[in-house]
Amino acid sequence: MQLSLHQLVPLPLREKIAGRSSGIWEGDLVLNEKDHVFIKAPSGTGKTTLIHMLYGMRDDYEGTVKWDNLEMKRGSAAEISQLRTKDVSVIFQDMRLFPELTAWENLDIKRRLTNTITAQQVTNWMDELGVADKRLSLARKLSYGEQQRVAIIRALLQPFKWLLMDEPFSHLDHVNIAKATKLISEVVKQNNAGMILADLDDNNFFPYTQTIVL
Amino acid sequence: MSDKTRNILLRKLLLRNNSKGRLWAAMIALFVGNTLLLLSVLIWWNFNELLYGKTENDSLGSTFLIIGKKVTNSNMGQPGATLFTPADVDSVNKAPQVQSVGAIVSNHFPVYAMMGGDMGFATDLPLESVPDRFLDSKPADWDWQPGSRDLPIIMSSQFLDLYNYVFAPSQGLPQLSESSVKSLALNVKAGPPDMAETYTAHVVGFSDRIGSVLVPQAFIDYGNQKYGKQGSGVAPSQLILKTKDPSDIKFTEFIQRKNYTTNSQNLRWSRIRAIVEVVASATGVLALLLMGIGTLVFVLFIELTIAKAHQSLTLLKEIGYSPGYLSGFMVKRFVPLVLVVVIFSAGITVGVQVVAADMAKAQGLALHTLPGLPLWAALTVSTGILLVLVVRSITGAIRE
Repeated sequence: MQLSLHQLVPLPLREKIAGRSSGIWEGDLVLNEKDHVFIKAPSGTGKTTLIHMLYGMRDDYEGTVKWDNLEMKRGSAAEISQLRTKDVSVIFQDMRLFPELTAWENLDIKRRLTNTITAQQVTNWMDELGVADKRLSLARKLSYGEQQRVAIIRALLQPFKWLLMDEPFSHLDHVNIAKATKLISEVVKQNNAGMILADLDDNNFFPYTQTIVL
Repeated sequence: MSDKTRNILLRKLLLRNNSKGRLWAAMIALFVGNTLLLLSVLIWWNFNELLYGKTENDSLGSTFLIIGKKVTNSNMGQPGATLFTPADVDSVNKAPQVQSVGAIVSNHFPVYAMMGGDMGFATDLPLESVPDRFLDSKPADWDWQPGSRDLPIIMSSQFLDLYNYVFAPSQGLPQLSESSVKSLALNVKAGPPDMAETYTAHVVGFSDRIGSVLVPQAFIDYGNQKYGKQGSGVAPSQLILKTKDPSDIKFTEFIQRKNYTTNSQNLRWSRIRAIVEVVASATGVLALLLMGIGTLVFVLFIELTIAKAHQSLTLLKEIGYSPGYLSGFMVKRFVPLVLVVVIFSAGITVGVQVVAADMAKAQGLALHTLPGLPLWAALTVSTGILLVLVVRSITGAIRE
């Protein structure tokens, strides 16, 4: 699955990005299958805005975002839901768990949408990232680090061709980052997928094929 | 796609904020509105059946009037001047409010009634006939054919009252019940003395509508043809009218213009009917209003539920749940509630009809035991509209 960006200008950032050189804004970009892309985005350059645009969560922009032939602004609600369950998964910067559900329920409600990952697999991954003991805790009672690990696992509970990550490890220490990147790498490989990771500073979480400065 | 655990989780996210009290209030509002709507349709339908239907409650719906030509000083000397010509009948038929016209034909040949043989009581007996459709109720043995010796009679109930309350007490005679009168046989001699025929007459019924002695029309026709004087014909002296609303000014003007006499007592039914129509339509308007309010309350309750679950809905869409699936989930939760309300309303309405039919029977009115087509049609239409509104409000609110 190919991602094409054409002359993107997010309306709220129009003035801010005018005259700046950017690898994405106001330009044309094509990302090919299985690319591992790092988007380096200093604060305020529209990192989260970009991820939300790619995921179809906002359409206050000029230009086009196309996943293969699906243009996000023109896609129907059903087409976008389809894309989100089969082709593109995301780890949000702000985690976005259901605070009133337990860690397990947060994962289960995602898992049962496609039923492509077994419950046992989920248990193993929780174990791997060290949140197995938080299984029955309400999401709102979890620490940010724990929430982030649950959010990472949730993003892996569906088939995908692209994994979008927005500062995915901002609340994790080195040990946990290593565990998470290992898990993500494995699952991305299993899915034969590409990834886009957006973060503030340079990093070597994954072997990137391309680095773009936003 | 049916997955129990997923539905439990969705319910936890989307319906947990539901207050039980509000749910009940919304359902009761819908129930009251729906039930009143159905009941008002039921009332309207029942009165319609009573007033214009083909059941045996004719006297409620239509007013029967007997008209005659007024006897005045100028026409009192002329034989036949107060008879109705075919042209007269025709013009009455076309008069406003008139639904049907029947000729009241009297006997134009001598008739004597005798009781207790030749030595007993004997009197001239004026007879009349009307078409069967103008009878209050047609007795089972209301039939006469030439050659038959048995002559059924319908007597005005006023005659019996006159005898029982005026004549019998003053003469020291026993009072008679309707059934005892029916068991009496009287001999009737019809025709001029040289060719008279004798019949055995029985009272087979009483009429409130017609103030005379009625025999089957076939008998009068036979007698008038056989014994009647040539030329006197069988022109009716009075007409019986079935009218929709004799209080209508156009009808009363017609009667006055033609100088006909009539009995204005009969107007009372039309007044009751007018009141019933006002009550039924007022109930209908009120019921529509309440149904509208009930529906509004229920739809607002749904929208409130969805608005409260807004955050969860947004996040569910973000993790890949489609609006269509979520709408379906909500529809499956709310539509059964609507159906429960509708079934309860319909049940109550059917119950009311059963009880009302039973009570009406005691009053001598025949109502259908079960509600008829208009009620089911109203139920279907109102349920259809309700379901469309509910589904639209759910899909609309979720898409936002």
